[in-house]
Amino acid sequence: MTSTALENQLIVGAILFALGMIGFLTRRNLILIMLSAELMLHGVSVNLTAFGRYHGNPQGQVFTIFVLTVAACEAGLALSLILTLYQRRKSLDVFLWGNLGEDDLRVLSGSSSSTQPTTKVVDPNADFPHLTPAGRAPKSPVTKT
Amino acid sequence: MNWSPENGMLLLPLALGWLAVWWLLPREKPRGRILGGLIGVAALLVLQATVLPPAGDLVHDVMFYAFAAAAILCGGLMITDKNPVYAALWFALTTLAVCGLFLLNSAPFLAAATIIVYAGAIVVTFLFVIMLAQQGGIGGYDREAFQPGMASLLSFALLATLLFSLQEWGGIDGKAADEARHGQFVSVPTTVQANLLSQAPESNPREIGSLRVLGRSLFTDYLYAVELAGTVLLVATIGAIAIAPRRSQGHL
Repeated sequence: MTSTALENQLIVGAILFALGMIGFLTRRNLILIMLSAELMLHGVSVNLTAFGRYHGNPQGQVFTIFVLTVAACEAGLALSLILTLYQRRKSLDVFLWGNLGEDDLRVLSGSSSSTQPTTKVVDPNADFPHLTPAGRAPKSPVTKT
Repeated sequence: MNWSPENGMLLLPLALGWLAVWWLLPREKPRGRILGGLIGVAALLVLQATVLPPAGDLVHDVMFYAFAAAAILCGGLMITDKNPVYAALWFALTTLAVCGLFLLNSAPFLAAATIIVYAGAIVVTFLFVIMLAQQGGIGGYDREAFQPGMASLLSFALLATLLFSLQEWGGIDGKAADEARHGQFVSVPTTVQANLLSQAPESNPREIGSLRVLGRSLFTDYLYAVELAGTVLLVATIGAIAIAPRRSQGHL
Protein backbone atom coordinates (compact mmCIF):
# COMPACT_ATOMS: atom_id res chain seq x y z
CA MET A 1 0.00 0.00 0.00
CA THR A 2 1.85 3.01 -1.19
CA SER A 3 1.27 6.54 -0.11
CA THR A 4 -0.30 7.38 -3.44
CA ALA A 5 -3.20 5.05 -2.95
CA LEU A 6 -3.86 6.52 0.48
CA GLU A 7 -3.90 10.01 -1.02
CA ASN A 8 -6.32 9.00 -3.74
CA GLN A 9 -8.73 7.52 -1.25
CA LEU A 10 -8.53 10.63 0.93
CA ILE A 11 -9.33 12.77 -2.12
CA VAL A 12 -12.32 10.61 -2.99
CA GLY A 13 -13.56 10.86 0.59
CA ALA A 14 -13.19 14.63 0.54
CA ILE A 15 -15.12 14.89 -2.73
CA LEU A 16 -17.94 12.71 -1.38
CA PHE A 17 -18.08 14.85 1.76
CA ALA A 18 -18.28 18.07 -0.28
CA LEU A 19 -21.03 16.66 -2.51
CA GLY A 20 -23.03 15.63 0.52
CA MET A 21 -22.60 19.08 1.99
CA ILE A 22 -23.92 20.68 -1.20
CA GLY A 23 -26.94 18.42 -1.10
CA PHE A 24 -27.53 19.14 2.56
CA LEU A 25 -27.46 22.87 1.97
CA THR A 26 -29.44 23.12 -1.24
CA ARG A 27 -32.14 20.49 -1.24
CA ARG A 28 -35.50 21.30 0.25
CA ASN A 29 -36.88 17.80 0.60
CA LEU A 30 -36.52 16.51 4.15
CA ILE A 31 -35.65 13.00 3.03
CA LEU A 32 -33.02 14.17 0.57
CA ILE A 33 -31.42 16.24 3.33
CA MET A 34 -31.07 13.06 5.38
CA LEU A 35 -29.69 11.14 2.41
CA SER A 36 -27.10 13.88 1.84
CA ALA A 37 -25.99 13.50 5.46
CA GLU A 38 -25.54 9.79 4.79
CA LEU A 39 -23.43 10.66 1.75
CA MET A 40 -21.16 12.72 4.00
CA LEU A 41 -20.88 9.71 6.32
CA HIS A 42 -19.79 7.62 3.33
CA GLY A 43 -16.95 10.02 2.65
CA VAL A 44 -15.80 9.75 6.26
CA SER A 45 -15.99 5.94 6.12
CA VAL A 46 -13.80 5.81 3.04
CA ASN A 47 -11.22 7.92 4.88
CA LEU A 48 -11.30 5.68 7.94
CA THR A 49 -10.88 2.42 6.07
CA ALA A 50 -8.09 3.89 3.93
CA PHE A 51 -6.17 4.89 7.04
CA GLY A 52 -6.81 1.51 8.64
CA ARG A 53 -5.40 -0.22 5.59
CA TYR A 54 -2.45 2.15 5.53
CA HIS A 55 -1.51 1.51 9.13
CA GLY A 56 -2.22 -2.18 8.90
CA ASN A 57 -4.48 -2.35 11.91
CA PRO A 58 -8.23 -2.91 12.22
CA GLN A 59 -9.00 0.24 14.16
CA GLY A 60 -10.22 2.16 11.14
CA GLN A 61 -12.69 -0.57 10.30
CA VAL A 62 -13.84 -0.81 13.90
CA PHE A 63 -14.53 2.89 13.88
CA THR A 64 -16.44 2.52 10.62
CA ILE A 65 -18.62 -0.13 12.24
CA PHE A 66 -19.53 2.38 14.94
CA VAL A 67 -20.25 4.98 12.25
CA LEU A 68 -22.58 2.43 10.65
CA THR A 69 -24.35 1.88 13.97
CA VAL A 70 -24.88 5.58 14.53
CA ALA A 71 -26.06 5.98 10.93
CA ALA A 72 -28.68 3.29 11.45
CA CYS A 73 -29.92 4.98 14.64
CA GLU A 74 -29.98 8.33 12.88
CA ALA A 75 -31.96 6.97 9.96
CA GLY A 76 -34.57 5.42 12.21
CA LEU A 77 -35.05 8.53 14.31
CA ALA A 78 -35.03 10.77 11.23
CA LEU A 79 -37.71 8.70 9.52
CA SER A 80 -40.01 8.82 12.51
CA LEU A 81 -39.45 12.57 12.85
CA ILE A 82 -40.09 13.11 9.13
CA LEU A 83 -43.30 11.11 9.33
CA THR A 84 -44.47 13.23 12.24
CA LEU A 85 -43.62 16.45 10.43
CA TYR A 86 -45.33 15.21 7.28
CA GLN A 87 -48.45 14.46 9.23
CA ARG A 88 -48.62 18.04 10.46
CA ARG A 89 -48.08 19.89 7.19
CA LYS A 90 -48.81 17.25 4.55
CA SER A 91 -45.62 18.14 2.75
CA LEU A 92 -41.94 17.32 2.92
CA ASP A 93 -40.85 20.88 2.23
CA VAL A 94 -38.41 22.04 4.87
CA PHE A 95 -39.36 25.69 4.37
CA LEU A 96 -42.79 25.09 5.83
CA TRP A 97 -40.98 24.79 9.14
CA GLY A 98 -39.07 28.01 8.70
CA ASN A 99 -41.20 29.73 11.30
CA LEU A 100 -39.78 27.63 14.11
CA GLY A 101 -36.96 30.10 14.57
CA GLU A 102 -37.12 33.00 16.90
CA ASP A 103 -39.13 36.08 16.12
CA ASP A 104 -36.29 38.33 15.16
CA LEU A 105 -34.80 35.91 12.63
CA ARG A 106 -35.54 36.05 8.94
CA VAL A 107 -38.01 33.39 7.89
CA LEU A 108 -36.61 31.11 5.21
CA SER A 109 -38.46 31.16 1.94
CA GLY A 110 -37.80 30.20 -1.62
CA SER A 111 -36.07 32.52 -4.01
CA SER A 112 -39.10 32.71 -6.25
CA SER A 113 -42.74 32.67 -5.37
CA SER A 114 -44.13 30.73 -8.32
CA THR A 115 -43.14 27.25 -7.20
CA GLN A 116 -43.45 28.01 -3.52
CA PRO A 117 -46.22 26.01 -1.88
CA THR A 118 -47.78 28.66 0.26
CA THR A 119 -50.83 26.73 1.36
CA LYS A 120 -50.27 25.77 4.94
CA VAL A 121 -52.47 23.09 6.37
CA VAL A 122 -53.82 24.33 9.63
CA ASP A 123 -53.55 21.56 12.15
CA PRO A 124 -55.81 21.86 15.17
CA ASN A 125 -53.32 19.88 17.18
CA ALA A 126 -50.59 22.38 16.45
CA ASP A 127 -50.36 24.27 19.67
CA PHE A 128 -46.78 25.31 19.67
CA PRO A 129 -45.46 27.03 22.76
CA HIS A 130 -44.48 30.62 22.35
CA LEU A 131 -40.79 31.00 22.79
CA THR A 132 -39.41 34.11 24.32
CA PRO A 133 -36.67 35.54 22.14
CA ALA A 134 -33.30 34.63 23.52
CA GLY A 135 -29.84 35.94 22.87
CA ARG A 136 -30.55 39.50 23.86
CA ALA A 137 -28.90 41.13 26.80
CA PRO A 138 -31.47 42.35 29.32
CA LYS A 139 -31.61 45.97 30.19
CA SER A 140 -29.18 46.87 32.84
CA PRO A 141 -30.86 48.13 36.00
CA VAL A 142 -27.89 50.36 36.63
CA THR A 143 -28.21 53.38 34.39
CA LYS A 144 -25.01 54.89 33.26
CA THR A 145 -24.62 58.49 34.16
CA MET B 1 1.50 28.33 3.05
CA ASN B 2 4.04 28.65 0.31
CA TRP B 3 2.38 29.09 -3.01
CA SER B 4 3.84 26.87 -5.66
CA PRO B 5 2.84 26.13 -9.25
CA GLU B 6 1.70 22.70 -8.16
CA ASN B 7 -1.02 24.30 -6.09
CA GLY B 8 -2.43 25.93 -9.19
CA MET B 9 -3.02 22.58 -10.81
CA LEU B 10 -5.78 21.89 -8.33
CA LEU B 11 -7.72 24.99 -9.21
CA LEU B 12 -8.81 23.86 -12.66
CA PRO B 13 -10.66 20.67 -11.62
CA LEU B 14 -12.13 22.48 -8.62
CA ALA B 15 -13.48 25.29 -10.78
CA LEU B 16 -14.81 22.85 -13.37
CA GLY B 17 -16.48 20.76 -10.69
CA TRP B 18 -18.09 23.78 -9.11
CA LEU B 19 -19.36 24.90 -12.50
CA ALA B 20 -20.81 21.46 -13.22
CA VAL B 21 -22.59 21.15 -9.87
CA TRP B 22 -23.88 24.71 -10.06
CA TRP B 23 -25.17 24.08 -13.56
CA LEU B 24 -26.83 20.79 -12.69
CA LEU B 25 -28.60 21.84 -9.50
CA PRO B 26 -32.35 22.00 -10.08
CA ARG B 27 -33.71 25.36 -11.19
CA GLU B 28 -37.08 26.73 -11.97
CA LYS B 29 -36.05 27.08 -15.59
CA PRO B 30 -34.79 23.74 -16.89
CA ARG B 31 -31.31 23.55 -18.27
CA GLY B 32 -29.55 21.07 -20.44
CA ARG B 33 -28.20 18.30 -18.27
CA ILE B 34 -25.82 17.02 -20.93
CA LEU B 35 -23.65 20.11 -20.83
CA GLY B 36 -23.33 20.00 -17.06
CA GLY B 37 -22.58 16.29 -17.16
CA LEU B 38 -19.85 16.84 -19.73
CA ILE B 39 -18.29 19.56 -17.59
CA GLY B 40 -18.38 17.26 -14.58
CA VAL B 41 -16.73 14.39 -16.45
CA ALA B 42 -14.10 16.82 -17.73
CA ALA B 43 -13.45 17.94 -14.14
CA LEU B 44 -12.95 14.34 -13.04
CA LEU B 45 -10.60 13.64 -15.95
CA VAL B 46 -8.52 16.73 -15.22
CA LEU B 47 -8.38 15.78 -11.55
CA GLN B 48 -7.26 12.28 -12.45
CA ALA B 49 -4.62 13.56 -14.83
CA THR B 50 -3.14 16.09 -12.44
CA VAL B 51 -3.35 14.79 -8.92
CA LEU B 52 -4.34 11.15 -9.00
CA PRO B 53 -1.46 9.23 -10.52
CA PRO B 54 -1.83 5.46 -10.73
CA ALA B 55 -0.09 3.54 -7.98
CA GLY B 56 1.43 0.92 -10.24
CA ASP B 57 -0.65 -2.15 -9.63
CA LEU B 58 -2.80 -2.37 -12.75
CA VAL B 59 -5.76 -4.36 -11.46
CA HIS B 60 -5.95 -2.37 -8.24
CA ASP B 61 -5.76 0.91 -10.14
CA VAL B 62 -8.46 0.01 -12.63
CA MET B 63 -10.82 -1.13 -9.89
CA PHE B 64 -10.07 1.91 -7.77
CA TYR B 65 -10.72 4.36 -10.58
CA ALA B 66 -13.90 2.56 -11.57
CA PHE B 67 -15.32 2.55 -8.06
CA ALA B 68 -14.20 6.09 -7.28
CA ALA B 69 -15.64 7.50 -10.50
CA ALA B 70 -18.88 5.61 -9.94
CA ALA B 71 -19.17 6.88 -6.37
CA ILE B 72 -18.51 10.50 -7.30
CA LEU B 73 -20.72 10.51 -10.40
CA CYS B 74 -23.62 8.82 -8.64
CA GLY B 75 -23.23 11.19 -5.69
CA GLY B 76 -23.35 14.19 -8.01
CA LEU B 77 -26.39 12.83 -9.81
CA MET B 78 -28.05 12.15 -6.46
CA ILE B 79 -27.82 15.71 -5.21
CA THR B 80 -28.86 17.16 -8.57
CA ASP B 81 -31.79 14.95 -9.49
CA LYS B 82 -35.21 16.54 -9.32
CA ASN B 83 -37.05 13.35 -8.62
CA PRO B 84 -36.44 12.22 -5.02
CA VAL B 85 -37.10 8.58 -5.91
CA TYR B 86 -34.33 8.66 -8.50
CA ALA B 87 -32.11 10.47 -6.00
CA ALA B 88 -32.59 7.65 -3.48
CA LEU B 89 -31.72 5.10 -6.17
CA TRP B 90 -28.58 7.05 -7.09
CA PHE B 91 -27.70 7.00 -3.41
CA ALA B 92 -28.01 3.22 -3.42
CA LEU B 93 -25.58 3.07 -6.36
CA THR B 94 -23.20 5.37 -4.48
CA THR B 95 -23.37 2.99 -1.54
CA LEU B 96 -22.49 0.06 -3.77
CA ALA B 97 -19.50 1.93 -5.21
CA VAL B 98 -18.30 2.89 -1.73
CA CYS B 99 -18.57 -0.77 -0.75
CA GLY B 100 -16.28 -1.53 -3.67
CA LEU B 101 -13.78 0.92 -2.21
CA PHE B 102 -14.13 -0.88 1.14
CA LEU B 103 -13.28 -4.15 -0.61
CA LEU B 104 -10.17 -2.56 -2.08
CA ASN B 105 -9.23 -1.49 1.45
CA SER B 106 -9.41 -5.15 2.49
CA ALA B 107 -12.60 -4.74 4.45
CA PRO B 108 -14.95 -7.41 3.08
CA PHE B 109 -16.99 -7.72 6.25
CA LEU B 110 -17.53 -3.99 6.35
CA ALA B 111 -18.60 -3.96 2.69
CA ALA B 112 -21.18 -6.67 3.32
CA ALA B 113 -22.46 -4.95 6.46
CA THR B 114 -22.76 -1.62 4.66
CA ILE B 115 -24.68 -3.16 1.79
CA ILE B 116 -27.06 -4.86 4.21
CA VAL B 117 -27.61 -1.82 6.40
CA TYR B 118 -27.77 0.86 3.73
CA ALA B 119 -29.12 -0.75 0.58
CA GLY B 120 -31.18 -3.27 2.47
CA ALA B 121 -32.67 -1.14 5.19
CA ILE B 122 -32.09 2.58 4.95
CA VAL B 123 -32.66 3.15 1.23
CA VAL B 124 -35.69 0.90 1.17
CA THR B 125 -37.35 2.67 4.10
CA PHE B 126 -36.53 6.08 2.65
CA LEU B 127 -38.03 5.01 -0.68
CA PHE B 128 -41.08 3.78 1.19
CA VAL B 129 -41.57 7.14 2.87
CA ILE B 130 -40.96 9.07 -0.36
CA MET B 131 -43.51 7.05 -2.26
CA LEU B 132 -45.98 7.31 0.60
CA ALA B 133 -45.59 11.07 0.89
CA GLN B 134 -45.50 11.99 -2.76
CA GLN B 135 -48.38 10.23 -4.36
CA GLY B 136 -49.30 13.40 -6.20
CA GLY B 137 -46.06 13.64 -8.11
CA ILE B 138 -42.98 15.74 -7.54
CA GLY B 139 -43.57 18.70 -5.27
CA GLY B 140 -42.58 22.18 -6.29
CA TYR B 141 -39.94 22.25 -3.59
CA ASP B 142 -37.97 19.57 -5.39
CA ARG B 143 -37.74 21.47 -8.66
CA GLU B 144 -35.78 24.32 -7.22
CA ALA B 145 -32.63 24.31 -5.12
CA PHE B 146 -32.14 26.75 -2.29
CA GLN B 147 -29.31 29.19 -3.05
CA PRO B 148 -27.37 26.84 -5.34
CA GLY B 149 -24.57 29.26 -6.09
CA MET B 150 -23.69 30.13 -2.52
CA ALA B 151 -23.97 26.58 -1.19
CA SER B 152 -21.87 24.99 -3.93
CA LEU B 153 -19.29 27.76 -3.68
CA LEU B 154 -19.01 27.21 0.08
CA SER B 155 -18.68 23.45 -0.30
CA PHE B 156 -16.08 23.70 -3.00
CA ALA B 157 -14.15 26.17 -0.86
CA LEU B 158 -14.12 23.48 1.85
CA LEU B 159 -13.01 20.89 -0.71
CA ALA B 160 -10.26 23.21 -1.94
CA THR B 161 -8.91 23.69 1.58
CA LEU B 162 -8.97 19.93 2.15
CA LEU B 163 -7.11 19.21 -1.08
CA PHE B 164 -4.61 22.01 -0.55
CA SER B 165 -3.84 20.80 2.94
CA LEU B 166 -3.42 17.28 1.61
CA GLN B 167 -0.99 18.66 -0.91
CA GLU B 168 0.82 20.60 1.79
CA TRP B 169 1.14 17.39 3.74
CA GLY B 170 3.11 16.21 0.76
CA GLY B 171 1.51 13.19 -0.67
CA ILE B 172 -0.70 14.18 -3.55
CA ASP B 173 2.05 13.88 -6.07
CA GLY B 174 3.16 10.60 -4.60
CA LYS B 175 6.40 12.03 -3.35
CA ALA B 176 6.52 12.85 0.29
CA ALA B 177 8.08 16.27 0.51
CA ASP B 178 9.43 15.91 3.99
CA GLU B 179 10.01 12.37 5.11
CA ALA B 180 10.21 13.22 8.79
CA ARG B 181 6.97 15.18 8.79
CA HIS B 182 5.43 12.48 6.68
CA GLY B 183 6.29 9.84 9.21
CA GLN B 184 5.11 11.98 12.05
CA PHE B 185 1.74 12.43 10.47
CA VAL B 186 0.94 8.88 9.59
CA SER B 187 2.78 6.70 12.08
CA VAL B 188 0.81 4.98 14.80
CA PRO B 189 1.24 6.85 18.04
CA THR B 190 2.72 4.47 20.55
CA THR B 191 0.84 5.82 23.51
CA VAL B 192 -2.51 4.70 22.13
CA GLN B 193 -1.48 1.08 21.87
CA ALA B 194 -4.27 -1.09 23.05
CA ASN B 195 -4.23 -3.79 25.65
CA LEU B 196 -2.16 -6.91 25.43
CA LEU B 197 -4.84 -9.20 24.15
CA SER B 198 -4.90 -7.49 20.80
CA GLN B 199 -1.19 -7.26 20.33
CA ALA B 200 -0.99 -10.17 17.93
CA PRO B 201 0.73 -8.74 14.89
CA GLU B 202 -1.28 -8.77 11.73
CA SER B 203 1.58 -9.50 9.42
CA ASN B 204 -0.52 -10.33 6.42
CA PRO B 205 -2.32 -7.20 5.23
CA ARG B 206 -5.07 -9.32 3.78
CA GLU B 207 -6.03 -10.38 7.29
CA ILE B 208 -6.83 -6.88 8.48
CA GLY B 209 -10.45 -7.04 7.58
CA SER B 210 -11.02 -10.66 8.41
CA LEU B 211 -13.65 -11.42 10.96
CA ARG B 212 -11.13 -12.92 13.34
CA VAL B 213 -8.96 -9.83 13.63
CA LEU B 214 -11.92 -7.48 13.55
CA GLY B 215 -13.85 -9.36 16.21
CA ARG B 216 -10.85 -9.63 18.47
CA SER B 217 -10.23 -5.91 18.26
CA LEU B 218 -13.91 -5.13 18.69
CA PHE B 219 -14.44 -7.28 21.77
CA THR B 220 -11.19 -6.59 23.55
CA ASP B 221 -10.14 -3.01 22.91
CA TYR B 222 -13.56 -1.59 22.24
CA LEU B 223 -15.78 -3.68 24.45
CA TYR B 224 -17.05 -0.66 26.34
CA ALA B 225 -17.78 1.14 23.08
CA VAL B 226 -19.66 -1.91 21.80
CA GLU B 227 -21.86 -1.88 24.89
CA LEU B 228 -22.44 1.83 24.44
CA ALA B 229 -23.36 1.31 20.78
CA GLY B 230 -25.86 -1.35 21.78
CA THR B 231 -27.38 1.04 24.29
CA VAL B 232 -27.58 3.75 21.65
CA LEU B 233 -29.38 1.36 19.31
CA LEU B 234 -31.87 0.44 22.03
CA VAL B 235 -32.54 4.06 22.95
CA ALA B 236 -32.92 5.01 19.28
CA THR B 237 -35.41 2.20 18.75
CA ILE B 238 -37.49 3.27 21.74
CA GLY B 239 -37.30 6.89 20.64
CA ALA B 240 -38.34 6.12 17.08
CA ILE B 241 -41.35 4.16 18.31
CA ALA B 242 -42.28 6.97 20.68
CA ILE B 243 -41.91 9.71 18.08
CA ALA B 244 -43.59 7.98 15.16
CA PRO B 245 -47.21 8.99 14.61
CA ARG B 246 -49.82 6.75 16.18
CA ARG B 247 -52.54 5.12 14.20
CA SER B 248 -55.10 6.84 16.43
CA GLN B 249 -53.86 10.27 15.45
CA GLY B 250 -54.63 9.63 11.83
CA HIS B 251 -52.74 8.00 9.07
CA LEU B 252 -50.64 9.23 6.23
